[in-house]
Amino acid sequence: MAGKPMVAICWLGSCGGCDEAVVDLNEAILDVANAVDIIFWPVAMDFKYHHLEAKRDGEIALSIINGHVRNSEQEEVAKLLRKKSQLVLAFGACACFGGTPGMANFRTKQDVFNWVYREAPTVVNPKRNYPQPKSKVNGKELSLPEFYEKVYALNQIIDVDYYLPGCPPPPDLTANAIYAVVEGRLPPKGTTLAPDKALCDTCNRNATKPSRISLSDIKRIHEVEASPDTCFLAQGILCLGPAVRSGCGEACMNINIPCRGCFGPVQGVEDAGAKFISALAAMLEAENDKDIRQLIEKIGDVPGYLYRFSAPVSALSQKQV
Amino acid sequence: MSNSEPKIVCFSCKFGWGYLGSEAALSSQVKNWIPIICSGKIDAQYILDAFRQGADGVLVLGCPEGDCHFQDGNVESKKRIYLLQKVLEAYGIEPERVRIELSLDPEGKKIPELVKKMSGTVKKLGPMKVLASR
Amino acid sequence: MTQNITINPITRLEGHGKIEIFLDSKGEVEDAYWQVVELRGFERFCIGRPVEELPRITPNICGVCPSPHNMASTKAVDDVYSVEPTPAAKLVRQLHYNAFYVEDHYIHFFFLSAPDFVVGPDADPAERNILGVISKVGLEIGKKVIDTRKRCRDIIRLIGSKPPHPEGGLPGGVPRGITEEERKWIKQTADDTVEFAQFALKLFKDVVLANKKYLDLILSDAYKLNVYDMGLVDANNKVNFYEGKLRVVDPQGNQYALFDPRDYTGYIGEWVEPWTYIRLTHLRKLGWNGLIEGDKTSLYRVGPLARLNAADGMATPLAQKEYEEMYNTLGGKPSHHTLAFHWARLIEALQAAEDMQQIANNPLLTSKDIRNMNLRLKKVGIGCVEAARGTLIHHYETNDRGLVTKVNLIVATQHNAAPICVSVKKAAKGFVKGPEVKEGLLNMVEMAFRPYDPCLACATHILPGEIPLAIHIRDKDRNIIRTLTKP
Repeated sequence: MAGKPMVAICWLGSCGGCDEAVVDLNEAILDVANAVDIIFWPVAMDFKYHHLEAKRDGEIALSIINGHVRNSEQEEVAKLLRKKSQLVLAFGACACFGGTPGMANFRTKQDVFNWVYREAPTVVNPKRNYPQPKSKVNGKELSLPEFYEKVYALNQIIDVDYYLPGCPPPPDLTANAIYAVVEGRLPPKGTTLAPDKALCDTCNRNATKPSRISLSDIKRIHEVEASPDTCFLAQGILCLGPAVRSGCGEACMNINIPCRGCFGPVQGVEDAGAKFISALAAMLEAENDKDIRQLIEKIGDVPGYLYRFSAPVSALSQKQV
Repeated sequence: MSNSEPKIVCFSCKFGWGYLGSEAALSSQVKNWIPIICSGKIDAQYILDAFRQGADGVLVLGCPEGDCHFQDGNVESKKRIYLLQKVLEAYGIEPERVRIELSLDPEGKKIPELVKKMSGTVKKLGPMKVLASR
Repeated sequence: MTQNITINPITRLEGHGKIEIFLDSKGEVEDAYWQVVELRGFERFCIGRPVEELPRITPNICGVCPSPHNMASTKAVDDVYSVEPTPAAKLVRQLHYNAFYVEDHYIHFFFLSAPDFVVGPDADPAERNILGVISKVGLEIGKKVIDTRKRCRDIIRLIGSKPPHPEGGLPGGVPRGITEEERKWIKQTADDTVEFAQFALKLFKDVVLANKKYLDLILSDAYKLNVYDMGLVDANNKVNFYEGKLRVVDPQGNQYALFDPRDYTGYIGEWVEPWTYIRLTHLRKLGWNGLIEGDKTSLYRVGPLARLNAADGMATPLAQKEYEEMYNTLGGKPSHHTLAFHWARLIEALQAAEDMQQIANNPLLTSKDIRNMNLRLKKVGIGCVEAARGTLIHHYETNDRGLVTKVNLIVATQHNAAPICVSVKKAAKGFVKGPEVKEGLLNMVEMAFRPYDPCLACATHILPGEIPLAIHIRDKDRNIIRTLTKP
């Protein structure tokens, strides 16, 4: 054990896909297991939180944390890992920007509860129950954690050293990140451990991207049989390639589906959606008020495209009701 | 809170708005007035920053359609604002909190009026509500 | 006297959860509750999204079973647009789906379950993981497991982009077809996978069934649960993962219902309790009769063993033989032995592998006719598949522009939530005697829910957050006497 750096892998509010992504290192995971000492990984190993508490502060070399934060327990675990770790890597779109479930910040908690426990067509709730932080069943008190009103990205809760976005991060960048720590090849704090290029720059459809994109009509993905090798924007299909970081290996383009931005904004941009608003506005080919409004209506879901993976880190998320 | 005056940030293009008037005089009348060169300069990020820093509403004044000194900066700005309004709605924020007006007013006399009008609209909506912390 | 037990987090399941165990005055288990403490709100924040984007959004409900969400969602969108996929597109989807079944069933078996059986239920927790399994069965076998998983996921990657978050699936088809060159390596993978699937069953029989201690454990009463079973079946009532009708059999194995999944709201009810965030599904027409098994129960299970119980057989020949052998060993059909879920899972993986092989041999697979563009928006759609863990239903409604106005989701772990509560209580009664509980015995309580492979990420699609799984043991005065954390 001695000498091998300790690594913790932990999920917060997460789907488990980032843990699968670590398993996707495949046979390389056996090498990783040789190079580091994985001391905590709830999805795969029988270690409990108190194992973490027993560690000295800073004893863990690296904590790889996936998932967002929406309740007190997640916050506590994040803070505990921070305290025990020299480095924290925000792993995956949820930890980096809040992720898809971050779109929950478009709704209120009350709205969610009303649907789930009252209005959904399969609900049978004659007692009009709601889950409660404390409840009594047969005289026994049971407790549940209470939820925050909204979703937070990891760096809104604790100090984060490095970021590896993606939904999920691909195996090559994952292995690079782990070995960078093992071998002490560390870039400056705050670095995103992914290429500093826009997706368009690495996309193999780039050759067919017009120098100036003009969208006089917007096509939704089901409306057309997209060409498998032409720039989506050139086909009138929304693609976030111009505003999004590369590194995914063009996974979606490879199956003929446009980018939705799981790698987040390019270097130096905090609010991916706001950045893309400017890019998108420039592409919309409309002069007068009516045409502009019509074209925007045709998009159908501006926030869902612009903030698919990053709603919680928008400035607006701090403001909403 | 409902009695206090809402904070309105006003960006206006120097080519169309108030270039004949006195900037100092206008500044004293309009609290958060930011004259800029071309409304097309207003990135969505600037408007979000205004909200982040406590604005309750943002007003953008650009040149009339077809009269942009840089060809179509005003239309670009309009497209951005219409897009941004869709985003505001998603977050439960009234789209009326951002407005763009494309017109011409060399004296800049309309600026305080428009800000006042915007202030009235926003006042009815109430202040931007900051979400209770976790 | 104050006493209680907690395990936190419950490990080796996908998500987090918590178990509360209450003791009576003699220190015997009186009650146990399995609590789901997370919600994520997908049903609400999908509102306003274009419906064709949902097959790209809903896989984020769960990174462990994203393909079923992608598939159920795509089928619901087919339904919203009243369109059938072209035959080739359907083959591509089913190829993706079978590849997913194989790799998911094996990750469950080897990574999450085998530690209990291969390494041992009361082994050192530091050894009770996949690395422990590999050191027990040998590195060669370990590499084979990893290789099979990798190659199946290569198929998912080819068709659906990233395996933990597939993005393919369009109404009436798939965005990308299969070339002849690709078909060749897919066929090789399928052939090898059929071989591996048979090997995995042999390994299970050699290591688990041949060990009398384990077989007794499988057949023991503490791990038995008498409830209804539900699963999709084809026209011949054979197990089908991708489509068909939902069939429900009663605890004696008689057909209770056979219905089109579009009629699910008439058959499935979701009960709300104040002590858990998960809605407890039950057979609506029987009413909510509480957390009980036996004659009065309205609970049903889903997932591998439930699917086999609900069907009249497997759809492929090799799997059918294994199916027959399993029921012979378990003492007839239906079987209510919870730990036999693991066995059923391996038999299902074999069916998926055989099916994958048939698809890979079908010349239609490489057809370029992969989109049916004859879309007609009818604004309501319901898609149902068997996720690896059980029946999955996506129900969407849209406005006349195809923007979502309503979403209802019922996921596998929800169906199993109430049965898990009862299973955990039975296991706790069987293994916990008084407050002094050894770690190995506690693991045996956890083993009562692991067969269901409760995917809490899925179950909690409703709000963001997470589930700590803890076991609290409480005395008769309801004070926590032990929060059982493992040594």
